[in-house]
Amino acid sequence: MSARNPGMDLDLEWVSKVRVNTQAVLKRAQQVQGCKVAKKQWQAAWLLKAVTCIDLTTLSGDDTPSNVHRLCMKAVQPVRHDLLKSMDMHDKGITTAAVCVYPSRVADAVKSLKAANSSIPVASVATGFPAGQTPLKTRLEEVRMAVEDGAMEIDIVINRTLALTGQWAALYDEVRQFREACGHAHMKTILAVGELGTFTNVYKASLVSMMAGSDFIKTSTGKESVNATYPVAIVMVRAIRDYYLRTGQKVGFKPAGGIRTAQEAVVWLALMKEELGNEWLSPHLFRLGASSLLADIERQIYHYVTGRYAAYHELPMA
Amino acid sequence: MANSTSKTVYDIFQSMEYGAYSPSTAATARAWLERHSYSLGFFMDGKFVCPVDRQTHTVTDSTGGTVCSVICAKDEDISSCGSSASAGFKTWSELSGHRRAKVLLRLASTLQRYTQCVSELCDLCQSPCSLPALIRLTQYYAGWAQLQDTLMPEWIPRGVVAVVVSDDCSFHSIWLKVLPALAMGNAVIMVPGVKLAPPTLLLAQLFMETALPAGVLSVVTGDTSVGARVAKNNQISYLTYSGSQQDGEVLAKQTAGWGLTISLCLSVSAECPFIIFESADIDSAVDGVIEAAFKKKKDWQWVLCVQESVLDSVVSRLKLRITGLKCVPLGSESDRTLVDVAVQDALQQGATLIQSCSPPASGALYPPTVLCGLAPPSSAAVSPPPGPLLPLLSFRSAAEGVALGNRTPHGQAASIWTEDLNLALETAKSLCVGSVWVNSHSVMDPSLPQCGRRDSGNCTDGGKEGLYQFLRPSPSPALPRSTPTSLDYAAFGTTASGFMVPEGFDPSSVTCSCSQYVGGKLCKADSGCSRTVQAPGGAVLAHCPDGGRKDVRNAVEAALKVQPGWLRKSPAARALSLYSLSDHLEKRRREMAASIQAQTGLSMEEADKEVELSISRLSDWAARCDKQSGGMPPLPQTGSALSAPEALGVVGVVLPDAKPLLSLVSLLGAAVSMGNAVILVPSEKYPLPAIDFIQVLQASDIPAGVVSVITGRRNQLTQALANHSEIQAIWYWGSLEGCQFLQHTCSSPLKRLWLHCEEVEGNDGGKYWSHSSPSLQEEMWREAVVWKSVWIPTA
Repeated sequence: MSARNPGMDLDLEWVSKVRVNTQAVLKRAQQVQGCKVAKKQWQAAWLLKAVTCIDLTTLSGDDTPSNVHRLCMKAVQPVRHDLLKSMDMHDKGITTAAVCVYPSRVADAVKSLKAANSSIPVASVATGFPAGQTPLKTRLEEVRMAVEDGAMEIDIVINRTLALTGQWAALYDEVRQFREACGHAHMKTILAVGELGTFTNVYKASLVSMMAGSDFIKTSTGKESVNATYPVAIVMVRAIRDYYLRTGQKVGFKPAGGIRTAQEAVVWLALMKEELGNEWLSPHLFRLGASSLLADIERQIYHYVTGRYAAYHELPMA
Repeated sequence: MANSTSKTVYDIFQSMEYGAYSPSTAATARAWLERHSYSLGFFMDGKFVCPVDRQTHTVTDSTGGTVCSVICAKDEDISSCGSSASAGFKTWSELSGHRRAKVLLRLASTLQRYTQCVSELCDLCQSPCSLPALIRLTQYYAGWAQLQDTLMPEWIPRGVVAVVVSDDCSFHSIWLKVLPALAMGNAVIMVPGVKLAPPTLLLAQLFMETALPAGVLSVVTGDTSVGARVAKNNQISYLTYSGSQQDGEVLAKQTAGWGLTISLCLSVSAECPFIIFESADIDSAVDGVIEAAFKKKKDWQWVLCVQESVLDSVVSRLKLRITGLKCVPLGSESDRTLVDVAVQDALQQGATLIQSCSPPASGALYPPTVLCGLAPPSSAAVSPPPGPLLPLLSFRSAAEGVALGNRTPHGQAASIWTEDLNLALETAKSLCVGSVWVNSHSVMDPSLPQCGRRDSGNCTDGGKEGLYQFLRPSPSPALPRSTPTSLDYAAFGTTASGFMVPEGFDPSSVTCSCSQYVGGKLCKADSGCSRTVQAPGGAVLAHCPDGGRKDVRNAVEAALKVQPGWLRKSPAARALSLYSLSDHLEKRRREMAASIQAQTGLSMEEADKEVELSISRLSDWAARCDKQSGGMPPLPQTGSALSAPEALGVVGVVLPDAKPLLSLVSLLGAAVSMGNAVILVPSEKYPLPAIDFIQVLQASDIPAGVVSVITGRRNQLTQALANHSEIQAIWYWGSLEGCQFLQHTCSSPLKRLWLHCEEVEGNDGGKYWSHSSPSLQEEMWREAVVWKSVWIPTA
């Protein structure tokens, strides 16, 4: 990961001046979806880029060491070796960006990856994921324990109560404390945009999270009814651009929840390219939180290489 | 191309470029062209006609390759086209609205079937067009054809309409005129620019599948002279032009005196303000301006105006967003020279550039460029050249922003960005443009009228409002076709006064000396001269001032001071003022009747009838003040649209001889009730009732300056009105020569003209004025307003 965002003092005047025009954002989102990537090797290259940005995730009640292990192995070898080889990409270090699990599974994941001699970081959700409705004390403790178990990245959730009631200073303080608890681990802040009501609130929450030192801002937990949508992403990346223009710090972006098809992954990359430029098209500044997306991308790559559509059994399971 | 296909996955993985889309082969369009041997003729009488030995023009695609050739019409082609169109008009106008609607609806479904071919051909000829928009336009006007008999019963089609559209216009703008003209029962002769000709011919052919009678729709092609030559054909009764200002002006001058009503829509080069207030969503506004200003074929020339407090934040975002944009192809190599000169000029005046990359050494390509730090006096801000240049100006307060946006000779459209609803609506109201888009830009819909102000045009397209240019009230006579006389435009109306001291002095008649009425004051002519007012028998009734340029100037100055206040008054307050005018006329009805009798020699009974009608006419207009309103057209997108009639400003009226009092109050009422100020020039022959009406005006509570009355010789005053740029419209009753002079002179700066030739109309005994048909009042009302549409999109 790149240089970290040190954060800054809370600037409430900046926050209060935020204005977002909903229809203009929706229109822009449609425009971005119209950006087309050429076929053939362009598609393949963009899809492989998407693979390298995936935080391969499993966040279920029935996660056990065995499925976490399989996930880790898939993260190390996300696309069949022979397919990569035919594109001459087998030696270019194509792995997913990270593996993302619950705090209790961090130790399992770290162990599996270590056994496979992989340096892929383990990310852990924390702070009362997904609702964030547990006492601050236990949320902080959760972060510290995940870091102790070897998590290199922590996905925290913000307290929506504070955001919805406009208590930006209190939210800033909480996120600052999480950041301290993270220590050397990078912090991704989940805004749970589906529960923030308006685009203006999303923008403000993004700014406050970045001021408090988030290295990434992330759309949603994947557990709300509304997940990562393009319009909400445009609002968030504009906040990232705003923060960059003001402070010179580059903060990353992670959409998560509901991203399932290769086509969507390409649109997400195009959105980053259009709004923030090529620099944000790398795992340092862009992640896709997904679990089933990888399977679809692999099928598309299979199609590019062989000209045929793969049966599900032809590709290794995660 | 070989270079890009050899790129490996790893190369692209690192550069993350989109890759070039292979251009479409346009196979179906080419197949259609091949069937016509790549050489297209005219379309007339329901079929293609390809006469031999005509001059040809080549249509090229974006790479410079030849697409096909079109031929240039000779006068004999135009005249045979004119006669087939007039036969077509007969059949078509006799069909019921319902039958015409059916034809248009069939066209909509035909277009759906041939979408691919039409859009490929448009792209090939470098005039891209959105087919769904075209289909919606067709369906929209099919609806008006259906409703015409019910909703506009007293209006009849004009006849054969010529639609002349220059090359730099969009394909859509042709149909924005042709479809309403057809819907209302006119026959249409289209004269498209060379690039627009192939798709226009294709659509004309597709129209034949809808059982459109032959001759109703014709296409003649050729160079820029064809428009003027078509206008001279006496089968045509109305010409409407869309295109650039220069060509429009030339066309208007060439057609002056042919007795042809023409209207111009000069939106192509129009300079439009794009105003970003501090209360805007800056990111969305910057995205908007980048989309609008750096398109390959843009509809308007945008000028970015930014409030000073957010200037830095706009500029920094522009810098980020502009990087990575590709160079934009220019129209031609000569455009490149213009762009280079403009950029050099701007740099010399201290402007700084924001560019996506440095411009290529030569060729018709230029990178998107923002010219920062310009001020209004610099030429790049006043008349930016075609190309991806965006001048950026800054302003301090919202009021200054509006003033900056209004300080241009154009008045086509504006885009304003703010999250403050009050500011948005106030700004929309104060901008002198036809279309205002709030937090959006370039939104067009058939139901939104587009009405250019100032030099951007004098016609209204789109919406229900756009239908009326193709209609006239059935009792109203059309302008008679004529041939122009060789008129010395510079000398028109400048002959010295023929006043002489009368030889034989008759001591029995002591005539009074009257005044004119300027800015609420009675006064003599500035020149000090006067003329005699004579009764039909020759007896001298009075001496009236012989007004001229200076008097018109004074009246305009007074009108400009008072008109904004008059407009701001509530419509109800304007109504009360007009009622008071009508009351005072009633109080003086005996004197007014006597004045009419003395002047025109009518019987007292008839004169009294005219006064009676005049009183009631004024009350009509008083009542209409707060009843005539616009509407909220429904658009397919979500949001609120407003279309509202607005006052023109100062209107000059040269009054007819017929019904001197009734015609005066009818026209005065129409103009003043809608918030205009008016300068009345009474009939040269019968000025007395108008002079006596001044006392009624003085007694009423119409504010001083809203109405001025200047007496004198018609040609002299017409010349004075025509040469004052603050006068937005001239309503003229008079000679053919006068009409010719006005058509020639008022093409630049552009005015709205409403011309009538008395030599022909005069012999109906003034029935036009006493007619009670509602369509006549509606016509007057529509002449007295311009339309503004405001679009406020919501999520």
